[in-house]
Amino acid sequence: MKYLLINGNPYHDHDEIDRYVIRLAAGLESAGNEVRVLVLRDMKIRPCTGCFHCWVKDPGTCIIEDDGREVSRQYIASDHVILASPLVMGFLSATLKNAMDRNIPLVHPHLEAIDKEVHHKKRYENYPVVSFLLEKEPFTDAEDIAIVTDLFRREAINVRSSLGFVKFIDTPVDEVQNALDVH
Amino acid sequence: MRLMFINGSPRGTQSNTGRLMGHFIRGFLQTEGNTCDMEYLTKNRRSLADLAEKFAAAQTVIIGFPLYVDAMPGSVKAFLEKLQPYVGRSDNPALGFVIQCGFPETSHNRYVERYCEKFSRRMGCRYLGAILKGGCEGLDIQPTFLTDKYYQYYNLLGLEFGKTGAFDAAILEKLARPEHLTSENMAQVIPFINQALWDAQLEANGVLDKSFNKPFGS
Ligand SMILES: Cc1cc2nc3c(=O)[nH]c(=O)nc-3n(C[C@H](O)[C@H](O)[C@H](O)COP(=O)(O)O)c2cc1C
Repeated sequence: MKYLLINGNPYHDHDEIDRYVIRLAAGLESAGNEVRVLVLRDMKIRPCTGCFHCWVKDPGTCIIEDDGREVSRQYIASDHVILASPLVMGFLSATLKNAMDRNIPLVHPHLEAIDKEVHHKKRYENYPVVSFLLEKEPFTDAEDIAIVTDLFRREAINVRSSLGFVKFIDTPVDEVQNALDVH
Repeated sequence: MRLMFINGSPRGTQSNTGRLMGHFIRGFLQTEGNTCDMEYLTKNRRSLADLAEKFAAAQTVIIGFPLYVDAMPGSVKAFLEKLQPYVGRSDNPALGFVIQCGFPETSHNRYVERYCEKFSRRMGCRYLGAILKGGCEGLDIQPTFLTDKYYQYYNLLGLEFGKTGAFDAAILEKLARPEHLTSENMAQVIPFINQALWDAQLEANGVLDKSFNKPFGS
């Protein structure tokens, strides 16, 4: 299996989730998987400007020449992508959300119906499963978790992926790894 | 009433968000004494902390954004993060949202709406609600009898908001139609959008035959 771990922790001085990602990557690697780790805060990724160049001018390619393209390239080449982020004001960090917005070149502009809702057609044949690894804020409650889990399920459908798991870094690493073996 | 409207569209002044909210603000300003300060996140990218300070000093704020992969654009999330220092302050502004999306059904916006409501509660902002609308990409290719109706609803919402300080529930409900599409609706709408919105642009750019390009291999 090809795993891509995308670390969207924006903080340099708050590294619990970084250490978790490193341990998970090492565990997956020693189990014989191909693993790549991207640390977004060390990359240059400008926000999407909504120009749709990637759909109507140069189909499949974002006009912005920065590391955002590389994230998309590695995303689509993976079997399973794990997005890691602390919750910041109750949602994924802006650092991670900006990188995810830049993934729309991976789908086609045409619409089609999926489960009685309109979504985009696939551009590629295969899309990875997407899972989320999160760190709670002091005030995170069950309602926050329900809100983000629903949003993640929808985001996965929208990029024609499916949702793997949503877990927090208070889960032991081997438990997360076992969950991955299942998917 | 003094309103601060923050346009969070990455398209800034050339956005559907701005175009639709222009009608709301026109209605809002019809009540004597009302004023509206317009802010664009695209213009404040390098000074989000200053904008957060203005937010904290305001009485009433509406934040507008397009749906990006089922949630707020990353650049809007960056601004929400800058409001962290003001969490729970007793004199935070009343806060509302205006969210629109490309897919024809309004239902897509309902999930991030829950986030916006929770966010407002966490901030300690009185929540004004959210104005939601689907089908907002390609306003120019939609028949004018439809778009004129939307614009009129935004205008009426603004007019009522200017008088009462609340979003009128009956207009919100009308604006949100269709909340979902039936299979028959989809069979009509999907080919229309694919052709009139996307293929037309692909063709004009001479790349219709390349629309399924796979630059990252197959
Ligand atoms: C990166 C990106 C992601 C988008 N994701 C969605 C989506 O998940 N659902 C949807 O209905 N529309 C989506 N859209 C379409 C926009 O919401 C729509 O085009 C909107 O009208 C743009 O408004 P604006 O001009 O105010 O920016 C997306 C557009 C972009 C550029």
